[in-house]
Amino acid sequence: MTNNIFKALTVCVIFVVLSISGQILAQEKSENAAETKAKPAKISVEEIVKKMDAKISGYDDQYMRISMNIYDVDGKMKSYGMEMYQKGTEKRLVKFTSGEMKGFATLILDRNNVWAYLPAFKKVRRVAATNMKQSLAGSDFTNDDMAVGSWGNDWDITMEKEDEKFYYLKAFPKKGKNITYASALLVVEKGTYYQDHVDYFNEAGEKVKVYFFKNLTDFGLDIKRHQIVGMLDPRTGHRTELFVHEMKNNQGLKDKMFTKRHLQWGR
Amino acid sequence: MRHLRWWHAGSVFLICLLCMESMAFASGKWTDMIDFSGYIQSDIRYIIEDWRGAKKGDGYEFQKNQNDVVLRLEIFPHDNVQAVIEADLRFYGFNRADSLYNVSDRGTSDPFNLQLDEAYIHVRELFWEWLDLRAGRMVVNWGTVDQFNPTDNISARDFSDPINFSAKVPNQMIELTAYPTDWLTLSLIWVPTFRPAQLPDSAPLGFADFGFDKNGCFATAPAPPLTQKNMDDLYKLFESAGDPCNLNFVEPGMPIVTPDFSMKNSQFGAKAQFLINDFEFSFSYYYGRFSFPVALTAAALIENSQVDPAVLDIKYIVELYYPRMQVAGFDFSYSAEWLFDIGIVGEIAVIFPEQVDFGLKAYWSGAEVANMGNNNVPSTPFPKATVGIDYTFTSWLYMNVMYVRGFFDEFNDIYGVHNYMVMAAELKFFEDELKVRTAAALNVDDTSANINGTVTWIIYPSVEVIADVLWFVGNTEAKDPKDYASKSKFGMRAVGRNVVSLKGKFSW
Repeated sequence: MTNNIFKALTVCVIFVVLSISGQILAQEKSENAAETKAKPAKISVEEIVKKMDAKISGYDDQYMRISMNIYDVDGKMKSYGMEMYQKGTEKRLVKFTSGEMKGFATLILDRNNVWAYLPAFKKVRRVAATNMKQSLAGSDFTNDDMAVGSWGNDWDITMEKEDEKFYYLKAFPKKGKNITYASALLVVEKGTYYQDHVDYFNEAGEKVKVYFFKNLTDFGLDIKRHQIVGMLDPRTGHRTELFVHEMKNNQGLKDKMFTKRHLQWGR
Repeated sequence: MRHLRWWHAGSVFLICLLCMESMAFASGKWTDMIDFSGYIQSDIRYIIEDWRGAKKGDGYEFQKNQNDVVLRLEIFPHDNVQAVIEADLRFYGFNRADSLYNVSDRGTSDPFNLQLDEAYIHVRELFWEWLDLRAGRMVVNWGTVDQFNPTDNISARDFSDPINFSAKVPNQMIELTAYPTDWLTLSLIWVPTFRPAQLPDSAPLGFADFGFDKNGCFATAPAPPLTQKNMDDLYKLFESAGDPCNLNFVEPGMPIVTPDFSMKNSQFGAKAQFLINDFEFSFSYYYGRFSFPVALTAAALIENSQVDPAVLDIKYIVELYYPRMQVAGFDFSYSAEWLFDIGIVGEIAVIFPEQVDFGLKAYWSGAEVANMGNNNVPSTPFPKATVGIDYTFTSWLYMNVMYVRGFFDEFNDIYGVHNYMVMAAELKFFEDELKVRTAAALNVDDTSANINGTVTWIIYPSVEVIADVLWFVGNTEAKDPKDYASKSKFGMRAVGRNVVSLKGKFSW
């Protein structure tokens, strides 16, 4: 009988221990979950910008085949084919593959080191920084917009506000950075850190451009990006959409591709 | 027997395999290797004056009715090999059949020609990663400035169409380019045979432009590059000929002393280009010939007319020459972040010319009546230079201003080297669908000018309509008919006609 009681007691103790352990574990889990839920609120602006930049340029290199669709206020559209190659956050090679611009190519090494191949003149010509204000083929993108590198490198960014879905970040160009816009408001989705849109303002505080994103798409090989990247002029309703047909990242693009030597090559 | 059947089956299989591979090559891989582009352009041009032609009153008529089909093929059989072919099939659009015998000949009634603008092979990483080779027929453009490049002498200018002043004459050449570092590029070019610049139809008037009064009588003779004393002696000869109304100037002759095809007439160019931070500059050297003709000798042959013995037939023959030269050049481009982002470009070329002495003889019924000469081009080195800035004010307004010392065709002969201001403005409207470009070149020394306006309408991507106007401002007559140096640069009739042009272009 003593043995049976001992056995029963042992079972009870084990049961109680297990119950208590389970409760303790459950409590810890809920505390962890609570902690996890609270994490986004604690993230710094620098971290948000870093994660946001990583979504845009967080690859060794990128290739995109694009249609640049330019819509006027009547809804009429004209389209140019383009290819864009990027290495890191700064080096970019943009080539037009259709239209009267076919063969025209721009190499952007940094804002003061921009070169254009002019097929009509069979010549590589330097593009002065002042010419970066010009629009690209009549679109709502300027050459400056196409040369955008890293937000963290070029802008001073602070948190304006946040809600359940988005961070609202206020940005001003860093000293010495000659950027067309006086300020910007970046709207970044919480959790994913994708940009929802960016409002650009002039010196008078007037909203002059809206940079927007649509159709988050899986391009395969773990590449998830917005298939449509656009620029809208809110004053006129005129907009341009870059439709990404194809995207490949981390292809091992070589540095020599981003040289004047390669610019005239055509491929 | 069984053995043979096996071999037969195996062969059939192998042939099928090869065919399939070829078909894959033909349909997939082959199209990946080529890039086909080009354009179709129609150009109608109308002369809008009647005082700048070879004969007064010539004008107000169509100058061009031309169609071009330009086809460009780029072939990339390998990542580091490119072959380029660009051909221009040109239809001139004017009926040349002037006799019933040739109205049935399409070639006469609808003349055309086929021009090969480029045909070369480009090999990258030849033997070494840093070495490229290009060989064949091509155009090479040196220099940093727009259009007015004194350091750019490898490919001659093509001014056969004065509105398209950026065109160049293709030539066969071999170019080696080395990229030892990312801030240094070295180029060597060898051009076996010389090709001169192409000139507009009006060019002969630069050497043989006779002036007549309202009665059609001789008034002025073309001023050859003679000193004032020699010109005075020449005019005494004209005066001794009697009544100017009895002077009949027949079609002048303009033979050119063309360089032979020996090795010593090859051209050679070398360039070292540097990129240090935001400053790009290069040093260059060229050995070859000046691509515009310079007057070498002239002869006036005076004979009594066989039709009317009272009239004197005068044939003026001026012999032209392409003098040798060496050019030491320096050019740079810089984007001045500290100065409103202005782009600054400049070139300077020091030209070491071959000395050219000019001689003139006159014969009257076979007897020499004049023999004079003087230096036309001294061997003293002289500079040509261009400095310019460009600025984009807004997304729709761009301007470019340049100071130019020495126009394309100036070679420090008796006419000298002159100073110019060149300005261009470009305005864009309706999302770049409409572009308006105005440009003017002003000769500061004689205040003559060349004004060009272009309106481009991009109807759809790839489809353009382009309207141009070209206008020359200046006196068609030299200030002093005896002074070769006093001619008006843009006023003289040799530079071309005032025209309007309408082009339609489709490109792919």
